[in-house]
Amino acid sequence: MVIFKHWELLKHLTLREIKARYKQSFLGFFWIVLNPFFQMIIMSFIFSKVMRVQNLGVPYPVYVYAGLLPWLFFTNSLTNATGSLVLNSQLIKKIYFPREILVLSTLFSKTFDFFLASIIFLLLMVWFHMPFSFYMLLFIPIFIIQFLFAFGLSLLLSALNLLYRDIQYLFELILTLWFYLTPVLYATEFFPPKYRWIFRVNPMSVFINAYRQVLLTRSFPNWGSLLIGASISLIIYFLSRRFFKKMEGIFADIV
Amino acid sequence: MDPNVIVLKNVEKYFFLQHQKTLKELVQALFKKQKTLEQVHALKSVSFTIQKGESVGIIGRNGAGKSTLLKLIAGVSVPTSGSLTVNGKVVPLIELGAGFHSELTGRENIYLNGVILGLKESYIKSKLKEIIEFSEIEKFIDIPIKYFSSGMQMRLAFSVAVFVDPEILLIDEILAVGDIEFKEKCLKKMEEFKKRGVTIVFVSHSMENVENFCERVIYMKEGKIEFDGDTKRGIDLYLK
Repeated sequence: MVIFKHWELLKHLTLREIKARYKQSFLGFFWIVLNPFFQMIIMSFIFSKVMRVQNLGVPYPVYVYAGLLPWLFFTNSLTNATGSLVLNSQLIKKIYFPREILVLSTLFSKTFDFFLASIIFLLLMVWFHMPFSFYMLLFIPIFIIQFLFAFGLSLLLSALNLLYRDIQYLFELILTLWFYLTPVLYATEFFPPKYRWIFRVNPMSVFINAYRQVLLTRSFPNWGSLLIGASISLIIYFLSRRFFKKMEGIFADIV
Repeated sequence: MDPNVIVLKNVEKYFFLQHQKTLKELVQALFKKQKTLEQVHALKSVSFTIQKGESVGIIGRNGAGKSTLLKLIAGVSVPTSGSLTVNGKVVPLIELGAGFHSELTGRENIYLNGVILGLKESYIKSKLKEIIEFSEIEKFIDIPIKYFSSGMQMRLAFSVAVFVDPEILLIDEILAVGDIEFKEKCLKKMEEFKKRGVTIVFVSHSMENVENFCERVIYMKEGKIEFDGDTKRGIDLYLK
């Protein structure tokens, strides 16, 4: 496994990204936490006060935050990972190591952000007197599947982006649309039944629903949908990896 | 052990030069009927063998295929056809700052650059003092390297690299910057490597360095080997 064999390289590349970010700004780590927090506040205000979303069974801020964090992990990972090979072109041209390390280190630094921002989620649960349960621990396997999904897509997009830089911008556009087709702000039940199949084939929707089930309703996730989500993630991962490895030999020529 | 550490047999390298990197440029080019992809024949049936402990200079004009050759030996690029075998740990002396991050301190960058070159973290830790000493920038080692001059950055990069203990060392114009004193120090270090039996492949436009350092040159011209042999003759042929 690449991760174990090149563990120290991966570690230092990840640290590079994390350190560089907090050194560049005055508030440093706080931005990682503040950004999703304020997004949550704004969304909570609009959807619970202006649009008056009801019948979620849990306070809206907690509900939206449980969807927002995995979504932000997903978009931040992909937008950064897509550019990661281009950004490190100098290294790619000079020295060999498995290139997926560059993509992985980006994802690891975003994982760090994800867990840092999750602290706020726990505080929110305490604030709204929501009980903790053992079901919550299931968020770890869900996160692993989500990570695999993001990793697979990142491998594909980062390699394509070396060929055409537009991939980055094109994907940002797709992400905007994808956001509205994922139940971050709303619940799947708000959607007309005849369109709900979208959520079954959209892995991000599967993951967010699963997170909400284990964290907020204190139950097992919907294993059936999760299995579909996991299968899609695995297929994308293996196909992208094959493509990535095939392209790897010419990365240095085209970068 | 096999004394032939680098063996190339009929190596051909083609790559596509992409003239447009964005879709907008591509669409414009298609309308104007400009070239979009250009196939470049970078190496034409290149064969040579380098034995353990040899110091070989690679000379030639820009675009002659020198860097492509180094990329193949370093393993970052693969030959289109032909065979290439490299036995031993290859260490490329990375150009100024390729493995650096400007926001990190000198010390942090030593670790980063070290692991990129394949060193173990514990090894870097044990050699840290020597590395810093060699670089002669002890005073600035804990400030971000964005405040370093390019000469200082080069010193740091070279200092990490010389502690790698390579079997095959690839040097691509790294001595282009830096003051004379440090250059001398680097050349001395490379002499040391040579004595220890390290194989060195040296790409340079400085004929003086090549002549002092290598007993053999490969003169590349338009992707082909024009001459392979005695340094002095090779350089004369190139300068003619």
